[in-house]
Amino acid sequence: MVEEQVTVLDAEDIAKDIYRLRLHAPQIVAQGVRPGQFVHVRLPGNTTQLLRRPISVMAARPESQTVELVIQIAGEGTRLLRSVRPNDRLNVLGPLGKSFDPHGAKCIYFVGGGIGAAPICCAMDAFAGQAEEAIAFFGFRGAEYAYGLDNAPCEVRVSTDDGTLGRHTKVTCLLQKAIDERPPDLILACGPAPMLRTLQNMTLRLRLNCQLSLEEHMACGLGACLVCSCKARVRNGTQYHRVCVDGPVFDAREVCLDV
Amino acid sequence: MSDRKADLKVRLCGVRLKNPVIAASGTFGFGREYDALYDIGQLGGISVKGLTLAPRCGNPPHRVAETPSGMLNAVGLENPGVDAFISEHLPWLLDKGLAVIANIAGSTVDDYCRMAEKLAPTEVHMLEMNISCPNVKSGGVAFGIEPDMVYAVTRAVKQHAGQPLMVKLSPNVADITQNARAAEAAGADCISLINTLTGIAVDAKRRRLVLANNVGGLSGPAVKPVALRMVWQVCKAVGIPVIGMGGIMTGTDAAEFMLCGAQAVMVGTANFADPMACPRIISELEAYLVAQKVRKAGEIVGALIEN
Repeated sequence: MVEEQVTVLDAEDIAKDIYRLRLHAPQIVAQGVRPGQFVHVRLPGNTTQLLRRPISVMAARPESQTVELVIQIAGEGTRLLRSVRPNDRLNVLGPLGKSFDPHGAKCIYFVGGGIGAAPICCAMDAFAGQAEEAIAFFGFRGAEYAYGLDNAPCEVRVSTDDGTLGRHTKVTCLLQKAIDERPPDLILACGPAPMLRTLQNMTLRLRLNCQLSLEEHMACGLGACLVCSCKARVRNGTQYHRVCVDGPVFDAREVCLDV
Repeated sequence: MSDRKADLKVRLCGVRLKNPVIAASGTFGFGREYDALYDIGQLGGISVKGLTLAPRCGNPPHRVAETPSGMLNAVGLENPGVDAFISEHLPWLLDKGLAVIANIAGSTVDDYCRMAEKLAPTEVHMLEMNISCPNVKSGGVAFGIEPDMVYAVTRAVKQHAGQPLMVKLSPNVADITQNARAAEAAGADCISLINTLTGIAVDAKRRRLVLANNVGGLSGPAVKPVALRMVWQVCKAVGIPVIGMGGIMTGTDAAEFMLCGAQAVMVGTANFADPMACPRIISELEAYLVAQKVRKAGEIVGALIEN
């Protein structure tokens, strides 16, 4: 993990309220960024918003020393981050957190919902080629929110809430159908909490290996401040894990996602 | 450190600090995470994550909310307990060569006394008695409101303490100077302030409070004017050393607290915005001293020109 003043190559809108930042980040890339890891981005300018924004890596490219982040405008901070221009500098800390682990699985299903598709694209690019069978399932609110579907290294199945792209259903329903046909050795997923809860119930019931990437507001991002907790099952009951260093990727059996 | 252009060394209750910048409790863990970024041995000291007699798992999430120029937290004293601190973290920290301040929080006077007893034979340099954690009902804040209670708990703990005893005051009181005087009268060796100001954050869209604990502690530059005022008042009210904190982001901020009378400062929330904040603030403070043509950090303590 390093702190680096990275250079913005470009910022581009790629879907409704979703943009991609391409950053020249040689030091961070040199650390070896693994799928599911995130970077902690300080907001640009003299803002009164002090806290960094944890953003999953969509792609890290050693050949060009670039990192790509896909960011949803969720508030003032992510809106401010959209205003950066080529050659602007950003202070970025990373790579941080635990990554997805393919465990040598022969059949992997990738599941991404909404902005959670970004780290799943990263995992798919890295692991789909190693598996005998790989299918990616992406769910979006509608066609205008969809991204990351081009140049996939494996079969992609898409669903939308409004039916404007792919199947008019929930992504977890698409997944369930595929599981009925062939249960995978491993499912890697990131998305909104209700999607993750459904997936967790499904995979626990079917005894399938599943890794979930969680999201939580963070402060230090290093494991020191203890603000980004998630409840986890341990031998004698439950305790809180730190999403930033114990996660953001957790085994679905390990975390409690109850509201 | 020998190439310093100004002498940053300070002495606090007989403890030598390389410089007056101390990482504030609750923002810095036990130092290991930040030591991955820089050698924390260059800091004046660390006040470790608030310790309790038994391990605590803390509050449910959400534990944090961003606010203008600040943040609210409600971690709820999640910590491994004082015994685990002594066996697992303290030896490593002592090797780093910075002053180690054990921050202790209790739900009874007896809790504080037993923690002080456990820490007495260790090489911890100072105790910081947290009687002001706003985020748990039993986090000591019950002892931090009324001057009589501040006096009682300080007096009791002082009898068990093997190290200089620092009392961390809550700003959520009617008159902080009364509590400072009560701590001094009870035998406190030092006072640190301010802990966080209590606040809430509202999510208007969901019509709910953001923090699971409802109430949290406000920190960051938003609280600095309040913290400065309280440090300034307390430094006039007591004769024991004062450590100032509250929204310090730069060396100039640190100097402002020292001008108001603080002999050292603690840096908390700044670490989140800038993980290199503490070493940066040390360098900036040194640059300030040089610019002010001051050779020793101690010379600016209380050097405010009053109106």
